[in-house]
Amino acid sequence: MSFSAGWYAVAIAGGLEPGTSAGTRLFDKELVIWRDKDGASHAWEDRCPHRGMRLSFGFVRGNHIACLYHGWQFDEAGQCRYIPAHPKLDVPDTIKVARYPSVEAKGLIWVYSEMVAEAPVPAPEDGAATPVRSLYLERDPATVGFIIENGGAGPFEILSDSLFATNVEGAELLVALQPFTDDRTALHIVITSGDIAPAKIAVWAEELRAVLETVRPISSGDALLAERFAS
Amino acid sequence: MSIVLHDYELDSESYKVRLLLSVLSIAYQKVAVNVHPGQEQRSPSYLKLNPLGTLPILVDGETVLYEAEAIIAYLAKAYDPAKSWLPDDPAAFGKVMIWLAFASRDLAAANLARLHHMLEVPADAVEVGRASRAAFRVMDDHMTKRELGGASWFVGDHPTLAEIALFPAIALSRDFGIDHDEYPALRRWMRRVRTIPGFITMPGIPDYH
Repeated sequence: MSFSAGWYAVAIAGGLEPGTSAGTRLFDKELVIWRDKDGASHAWEDRCPHRGMRLSFGFVRGNHIACLYHGWQFDEAGQCRYIPAHPKLDVPDTIKVARYPSVEAKGLIWVYSEMVAEAPVPAPEDGAATPVRSLYLERDPATVGFIIENGGAGPFEILSDSLFATNVEGAELLVALQPFTDDRTALHIVITSGDIAPAKIAVWAEELRAVLETVRPISSGDALLAERFAS
Repeated sequence: MSIVLHDYELDSESYKVRLLLSVLSIAYQKVAVNVHPGQEQRSPSYLKLNPLGTLPILVDGETVLYEAEAIIAYLAKAYDPAKSWLPDDPAAFGKVMIWLAFASRDLAAANLARLHHMLEVPADAVEVGRASRAAFRVMDDHMTKRELGGASWFVGDHPTLAEIALFPAIALSRDFGIDHDEYPALRRWMRRVRTIPGFITMPGIPDYH
């Protein structure tokens, strides 16, 4: 399986507090996701145009994000607005950070995986969701997706290559796969219906992670079979 | 001034003690030890204070203590009359002790990974990296469940020695190539730790300005 360009969940929306930033990866590309003081979230290339420092190491000031190295500040549009070493400089329009299309829906932050002005496909639709947690797996995205799709981690409904639904103790869960790097995968879990304590799903999630990191997919000609599925 | 801390600015173990001394507003005298490249902590005179040849070493009058977790426990007993940092309640005390043992045993790999990267201390870089990530995952899982249960700290409803002992390794993890990307609950917790009155940083932990 290979994942195509598209919308991928990269974080639990509520986990990114106003005035904070976090780093993440999508197809091994470094992204900074940050939320300004007014509550809007942003997903950018995680690189200050000045010296290439990861902006996720920096800090949010109001509706600007500032680089940790030299304090260059960028506004919501990625435009550099302030350079502390040259406080009187009218910063040229060319000093910008590249941005990804992003939306918040179903309790998650979604990013379109290509750096385009506008995503060519519609963003995920919003809906009620209670956040649980993100999991970071020491396993490649294709194998994780394969095990889930073939029942190696229990029954899942396949909504897309990177989106799965399941039922745990009467609660409906959405599990969104984020191809993190070539050998690492993130899963973001929210409850879409049912009355269950998120802490209980968090325990289930740890078990899911253990299965997805240990189940051995067996190669059988061109077809791979997850061990549990085969037995 | 009666309290003396034998200290190395870049040492994350010494930082635990400096951090607690700061939040408890305890006055002390700092003696800078030439760890790199001098290895002064292993000199005959220092081995008389601490036969392990490690830092930090705390001297409070007649009392000489080494091992960061032992020192911070002592300081809490001696100088925190509210018993907030090392709770009296048996269950809370036991839970704090779990994390102190964890900090000293399971986070030793993170400490070594950092020294390997910064000061070329011999280590299996792959193995100490793996062990560090395993330990950070345990911490992140714990804090994830704590947050879902409405809690903000490792134990109880206020910061304890667990925060002091656990903070340095993860806050410094970028020194040895482990980003915070995969530990969202620890990222939020670290921001809370930074709000503790008297919080101080060390080299490698940025001051937000």
